[in-house]
Amino acid sequence: MQRSSLIGLASFMLLLATSPAGAHAFLERADPRVGNKVAAPPRVVTLWFTQKLEPAFSNVTVTNGTGERVDTGKAHVSGNQMSISLRPGGSGTYHVNWHVLSVDTHTTDGNFTFQVGQ
Amino acid sequence: MNFPGTEIDGPIVAVRAVHFTATAVTAGALMFRAVVAGPALRSACKVSAELDARIRAIAWIGLAVSVVSGMIWLVLEASAMGGQPWDEAVVSGTLLAVLGGTQFGSITEIRGALAALVAIGLAFDNWRMPRWLALGAAVCLISSIAWTGHAGSTPDELGNLHLAADVLHLCGAAAWTGGLVSLALLLRVVRSYRATAGISLMQLDAVRRFSSLGMASVAILIMSGLVNSWILVGSWRGLMTTDYGWILMFKVAIVAIMIMFATVNRLLLVPRLVLPAHDSALGGLMRNTVAEIALAFLVFAVVGLLGTMHPAAHLVN
Repeated sequence: MQRSSLIGLASFMLLLATSPAGAHAFLERADPRVGNKVAAPPRVVTLWFTQKLEPAFSNVTVTNGTGERVDTGKAHVSGNQMSISLRPGGSGTYHVNWHVLSVDTHTTDGNFTFQVGQ
Repeated sequence: MNFPGTEIDGPIVAVRAVHFTATAVTAGALMFRAVVAGPALRSACKVSAELDARIRAIAWIGLAVSVVSGMIWLVLEASAMGGQPWDEAVVSGTLLAVLGGTQFGSITEIRGALAALVAIGLAFDNWRMPRWLALGAAVCLISSIAWTGHAGSTPDELGNLHLAADVLHLCGAAAWTGGLVSLALLLRVVRSYRATAGISLMQLDAVRRFSSLGMASVAILIMSGLVNSWILVGSWRGLMTTDYGWILMFKVAIVAIMIMFATVNRLLLVPRLVLPAHDSALGGLMRNTVAEIALAFLVFAVVGLLGTMHPAAHLVN
């Protein structure tokens, strides 16, 4: 292989090696909204993502102000939307942790909070 | 397994590139046989039979590489989805969960069946129906890649447009790349039969037919590529300020060089094939074809990477 070809190949490999890749489905919005305050505990938390999700590899958990899990365990996934029912959990800061696999095979996770109470 | 200091999954990028290239070569070679070599060499039985055998061999090799790389791709994806080493993903049931519970798994099963149909068609290639079966299944095999990537996960009505554009993009790329490989074979075979009466005119007819196929492919690639870019990049800012945008521009630059080679072939070299002494034109055509094939393979390597990256539109919006 000629020297110029080697330099070209090395440049291309460098280009490959310096580009980030990974997760695809970003959180687009949520209900209750990220960081928002609601008067009463919601019955359901719903998250919308930028891409369609795989139900078998996507989940979300919700904990209340005392750190107790208040979700019912199994998220419902439809297209790019994931929702989970909640048990009554009182007021305080609710933490939502999500982990999803988009249909284009990439995993991503994240979390946000919302406030419950006056 | 990522490159040190990055989030790039090197093995997945590599196996995707190999899989896309092999599948495109298989589908494109069979398209070339149907619309270029078959009609152009109809009256030269011996030449046609030899070229046919070589195209069939290329299709078989492409199919074998496509199947093996497809299986490795599945195992690597199961490993990534389950967050486990690949061997653990196979024995722990994650692989089966991926096959039965994800779109990627379902599409992989369908594509396995399509690969089997291509193999059946190629195995009984002496009859007309199996030839069309092989061609149809190979086109479906390359098209169905669209459902494994960004296009398959774009939500709502935009997702349908994205899928349609991606299917056309894949078919256009296959017709061009697989056609180039087959054209190189044709030029080589014809050279060894140069004493056959009328072979130069048949070769000219074949090259012109491929040139038309190439122009149609480029038109499809440009239109579908613009739609894909609009969905995945969305803005000049997305193109100029993200790694996805820069790598996409790198890909477009390589394709532009390929189009330049194709234009030189079409406007300068092909017209000279009608001259009695056209050896230098034929040599130039062969060199340009090999160069275009190398560039096409490089494009598939870039595509293997782009499909694993954050689309620019998601990063700037």
